[in-house]
Amino acid sequence: MMLSLVTAIGLLLLIAGISVHHLMESQLASRLAHDGESLLGGLSVRADGRVVLDPRRIQGIYLQPFSGHYFRIDVDGEVMRSRSLWDETLEVPDVPVGEIRISHVTGPEQQPLLLWSGTFLKHGRPVRLAVAEDLFDLQAGFRRLWWHLLGGSLALVLLVLLIQRFIVARSLRPVAEAVDDVARLEQGEATALREAVPQEVLPLVQAINSLLQRQQQRLLRSREAMGNMAHAIKTPLTLLQQITAEQARGSDDATRAQLEHYIHKINELIDTSLRRARIAGDSLGTSRFDLRNDLPVLVDTISRLHRDRRIAFEQHIEHADTLPMEQQDGMELLGNLLDNAWKWADSRVRLRVDGSTRPLLLVIEDDGAGVGDAQLQQLAQRGVRHDEDAEGHGIGLSIVKSLVEALGGTVEFGRSPQFGGLQVKVYCRWPEASSGISQ
Amino acid sequence: MRLLLAEDDQELGARLKRFLDRQGFAVDLYDNGVDASFYGAETPYDVIVLDLGLPRRSGLEVLDDWRRGDVKTPVLILTARDTWQEKVQGLQRGADDYLTKPFHEQELLARLQALIRRNTQTVGESLAVNGWVLDEETQSVSDGERNWPLTGIEFRLLRYFMLHPGHILSKSRLTEHVYEQDADKDSNVIEVYVNRLRQKLGNKVITTRRGQGYVFGARD
Repeated sequence: MMLSLVTAIGLLLLIAGISVHHLMESQLASRLAHDGESLLGGLSVRADGRVVLDPRRIQGIYLQPFSGHYFRIDVDGEVMRSRSLWDETLEVPDVPVGEIRISHVTGPEQQPLLLWSGTFLKHGRPVRLAVAEDLFDLQAGFRRLWWHLLGGSLALVLLVLLIQRFIVARSLRPVAEAVDDVARLEQGEATALREAVPQEVLPLVQAINSLLQRQQQRLLRSREAMGNMAHAIKTPLTLLQQITAEQARGSDDATRAQLEHYIHKINELIDTSLRRARIAGDSLGTSRFDLRNDLPVLVDTISRLHRDRRIAFEQHIEHADTLPMEQQDGMELLGNLLDNAWKWADSRVRLRVDGSTRPLLLVIEDDGAGVGDAQLQQLAQRGVRHDEDAEGHGIGLSIVKSLVEALGGTVEFGRSPQFGGLQVKVYCRWPEASSGISQ
Repeated sequence: MRLLLAEDDQELGARLKRFLDRQGFAVDLYDNGVDASFYGAETPYDVIVLDLGLPRRSGLEVLDDWRRGDVKTPVLILTARDTWQEKVQGLQRGADDYLTKPFHEQELLARLQALIRRNTQTVGESLAVNGWVLDEETQSVSDGERNWPLTGIEFRLLRYFMLHPGHILSKSRLTEHVYEQDADKDSNVIEVYVNRLRQKLGNKVITTRRGQGYVFGARD
């Protein structure tokens, strides 16, 4: 774009320069021809046969030394020179009679001259006549003109470029906004692109939105299906469990324990796979777990479920409005963590969220009995025991562990330095922002 | 204690009803959301057990119906849906407790008793009024020295009295909370059971307010 513009303007300048140059020289040449003809007309033959020049026909400019205007007349071996030549000579080419020649020569004081010369027959005698004019002023004027043209053209190019840039930026602004929206989508700050865009971009934005909507609906449907499946399987499982418990009295204790163990195991397996299937993970267009709206509701729910326990809950949330995970994923994670803390705490539960670092850090602590070193180690390993009789924090934390791992984060179990109970640290990965578009 | 049980699985429903009957509840079982919604608003239940996956009208919608209709009966959601999202939804829409399937019957019973006590603002693990202690597990009552076993109806009646000490309870109110929907509701039967309790525990334990009803633990 820029290159073609510069080439075009350069070519224009070149053509303009050459034409102007030609025009000026031909103008000058015609003036010289006038002067020459006037001089020729001033020649007359005296009685003694000598050819003389009528001084009245000589313009003043030819009389000033080195004025830049010169002539030379050669007739019968005699040379008549303009006074302006002073003691210099003017070299004149030999031109056959009837021809006019225009040439560039160097004159006195290194002046660049345009020379008009020709040979004429006057009173039967050949007269060689040459008139010259200094080109210096003309060339200077021409150069000045050239510079003006060049400067003007450059300014024009710059102006055109600026205007073009402005127009492009203006017409692409909606596209840039859409790109920003995509970035917000990735960060989970938006669930759809805004459709307040020009006609040209609208179909694209609508296509993306309908794609997102389909994805969201698919997630919703699959979660619903999981819920229905849980319902369908768990009701007979409940019956099985209760029939087993009822049979207990009077029957074989070992068999009953075995049956109960397997019923429990089936339940665990169903829970684990359903939970895994429900994780939304990085799905685009889903809303984030909102610490300002979702957390209070969750805490309220948990404290109501454990109404008989008097727990003082503290939360310290810094540099974070949302968790880097889908809303229901966040509900599951925090729900299990807080529920577990509530169950085992003596009187205090504390949640800290620090969003100033990547990954985001989530810390849940309680002042309960905590867990022993052996169990801490067991928690840290994969495949935590799912036994019902596993002491203390078993199952809730194994859910947390698998959930965090599925979300690409890490989890650490330890002892709370301040409260003495269990401390769970969760490092939550943020989705990678695609580089280059969110500037 | 009148209890509404909304459960669509026939066998689990019947089994739960039998269990809760044995525990001294007057249980009405409905297997769909529309009936549950209607009878839950119609009858002064003491506690409700609600399954979320009901046919015709979902459990959450039924819950909305009740709470909008100013039914304040405590509701325990009993469901296979065990995500925190669903628990939050259930409790925020007015449920009081949430139990997921599979569950142990004793766990359900403990939660129901806690709900009833909370609702009648009775504190403590066991029900004790004026030196009388009701043992819900053995369905018997003691004064610290002697222990009297109670029949099913006697237990239901005494528990209702003890949950509302000092209140005047009419015969029809007692009937409503002691018998299930399709039982033979002759309010004279209440008189018979009140007299039986008096025979066991002494005449003073329940006083009669003529034309109004009965009062347990009245201070005179």
